[in-house]
Amino acid sequence: MTHILDIKDLVTNFYTYEGVVKALNKVSFHVNHGSTFGLVGESGCGKSVTVRSIMQIVQSPGVIEGGEIHFSPDSDNGETGIDLLKQTERFMQDLRGNKISMIFQEPNAALNPIMTIGEQIAESYVFHRKNQIIEKILGLDRTGENLFPKVSANPLFLPLYHLALHRPDAFLLELIKKVPFLRNWDRAVLHTAIEKSVELLATLGIPNPDKIVHQYPHNLSGGMKQRVVIAIALASEPVLLIADEATSNLDVTVQAQILDLLKDLKKKNIISSILLITHDLGVVNETCDRVGVMYAGNLCEVGKVTDLFENPKHPYTKALLDSVPKIRQIGDLKSIAGNVPNLVNPPLGCRFHPRCGHAMAKCKEVFPEMTIVDDDHEVACYLYH
Amino acid sequence: MVVVLFGVSVLMFSILMSFSPERRAVAYATSAKQIKEIPILVAKYGLDDPYHIQYIRWITQIFKGNFGYSTVASSPTLDAIIKYLPTTIELNLFSMPIIITLGIWLGTIAGIHRDTFIDHTTRIAAIVGWSLPTFLFALILLMIFYSQFQLFPPEVISDHIDDFISDNPDKFIQYTGMYVIDGLLNRNFEVVADALKHLVLPVVTQVTVVIAILVRVMRSSMLEEISKDYVITAKAKGVDINTIHQKHVKKNALLPAITISGWLVCLSIEGSVTVEFIFNRAGLGLLLVKAATQLDIPVVLAISLLLGLIYVVANLIIDVLYAVIDPRIRLN
Ligand SMILES: Nc1ncnc2c1ncn2[C@@H]1O[C@H](COP(=O)(O)OP(=O)(O)OP(=O)(O)O)[C@@H](O)[C@H]1O
Ligand SMILES: [Mg+2]
Repeated sequence: MTHILDIKDLVTNFYTYEGVVKALNKVSFHVNHGSTFGLVGESGCGKSVTVRSIMQIVQSPGVIEGGEIHFSPDSDNGETGIDLLKQTERFMQDLRGNKISMIFQEPNAALNPIMTIGEQIAESYVFHRKNQIIEKILGLDRTGENLFPKVSANPLFLPLYHLALHRPDAFLLELIKKVPFLRNWDRAVLHTAIEKSVELLATLGIPNPDKIVHQYPHNLSGGMKQRVVIAIALASEPVLLIADEATSNLDVTVQAQILDLLKDLKKKNIISSILLITHDLGVVNETCDRVGVMYAGNLCEVGKVTDLFENPKHPYTKALLDSVPKIRQIGDLKSIAGNVPNLVNPPLGCRFHPRCGHAMAKCKEVFPEMTIVDDDHEVACYLYH
Repeated sequence: MVVVLFGVSVLMFSILMSFSPERRAVAYATSAKQIKEIPILVAKYGLDDPYHIQYIRWITQIFKGNFGYSTVASSPTLDAIIKYLPTTIELNLFSMPIIITLGIWLGTIAGIHRDTFIDHTTRIAAIVGWSLPTFLFALILLMIFYSQFQLFPPEVISDHIDDFISDNPDKFIQYTGMYVIDGLLNRNFEVVADALKHLVLPVVTQVTVVIAILVRVMRSSMLEEISKDYVITAKAKGVDINTIHQKHVKKNALLPAITISGWLVCLSIEGSVTVEFIFNRAGLGLLLVKAATQLDIPVVLAISLLLGLIYVVANLIIDVLYAVIDPRIRLN
């Protein structure tokens, strides 16, 4: 099976006043085409930093300092794909929200409070489908594949639309953007995009989409906001969807609805691959094919969900599984002794060794590399070297 | 709003009451003749009566437009204020737009380019501008640009222009009392140029002193907004960084800046006092300084009331602006 995403030795640090936070320490894993990959771990272990590094939207003072992120959107050709870390910012802009999209942990904060829902979804179309929209406005749609609704534009500005289509960097367009009143000449693009957003919201099962696009985030409930965030992510039909704890802050019923929505979208092939971050192992069990377990900036174990849950290898994975209540619970629930290490001065060697019952001398000196213990099951622990 | 104005008037009246009835009488006088007959005024307005009765009498006079007689201006206070007000408005008409646009612009770029050369320079300039005593700064400007280079003179207008205007009331009609605007309306560009020349240094002084606070507020609210989650959402959507800064962050960052701008207006008008005093511009500030040093109570009271009114009106405008930008307020 080919990999849509292949991450190798990713290193990301934050240069804070307290020192360098070594948030990611050589993280490597891959996501298969058409599958769902789960990333689990305690709060602060670096899950969000990992996916933000993939999209290169790490907040300052974070810096991606090493590694490779190979992305191959087409499943049929067996190439290694492009290394995202070697691309320009311009290239990444075209990719973000287009080929790879992201939904966020906190729907209340993820939306701009002073822009309407419609405007915020429309941005996805305006930034990634502008040419198609303009073609539709100009009536140039010959193939019938252009699914944007038809919005009429001011006939005076039609030459400008032609110009924008053929020479988007024209000086005249730059100039006109600075003129009051005239600078909104391309209103029809926004209107088309908002019309399209209404359709999108309807397919996501949101009631009254034509009203909602004119509302502001504070008018909506948390679950509704999260659906809007999902709509923004799905607008350009990405091949990879990253869901960063998309359901953690919602109540249980809404959480289930959102997860069902994602599953449904995947079944209908609207999204092909998902990278799902969560600290809910139940969700992983239900939705994911493969899973990676992170601890303090390291990936300690990765493999198929069934293998990893039934036959965990890494002491941290075992401890994590023991700390979750099961339906047929045998024995007591165990919490993991000790604290998550400070990432400014992380423990040498394996970062888990101070809390590990099997720690050996070697564990305190050199970081254990990933070793294959089974078919598609790797673990970073000296017990299996 | 009415409550605020009521509070201001009660406060003003209390200050007035701390003077003896004889001194207070000027606040009710309407002409120079009456000033000489203080005991008559004291009896007429019952200045020995209880506090609240006197307050009602006083506020009734205010509403009738009688602010008392100004000994400094040798005219009724209201006339003096109407005469001096245009100069102050003219000064603020030029400095306020500069303060607002330049302040927001500087604060925005300082926030975007955090900890770079631009940021440090604007911050240091803002701190220096804020902490430098206004009079010192104004004097330095005068020394350089007037004494050394004879470029920008003090006062409101040159003597020969002033003579021309008072000699030709039919050729030069004084619509507003502001030389720049009147000059434009009369199509007399010599007057406009001369008035502008006199405005340069006062405007520079006032901008330098008042702008610092706006730059700082705008910068810190830009920094706060930049680190918010919706910025990450926009980035993940593929929006370019310029659009993020200008369309998403700046609009949100404007809200705190708008909140302080009512205070800014008052600060600016307060700043006019020093500026007018040093540049010898016949505005409200100069009138206030003269009145305060010669204990011209009616003028001080009237100007304080005016400031209160300006503050209230400014805040009303801010509330409206706020509702335009922030949909969360619009509901309520
Ligand atoms: N802006 C930042 N400045 C400094 N350190 C940061 C910053 N963002 C993240 N970190 C550090 O990176 C580490 C990983 O953070 P991250 O947000 O990826 O955790 P997480 O696994 O997503 O946790 P959660 O489950 O709480 O979302 C944290 O320990 C944190 O200290
Ligand atoms: Mg997170």
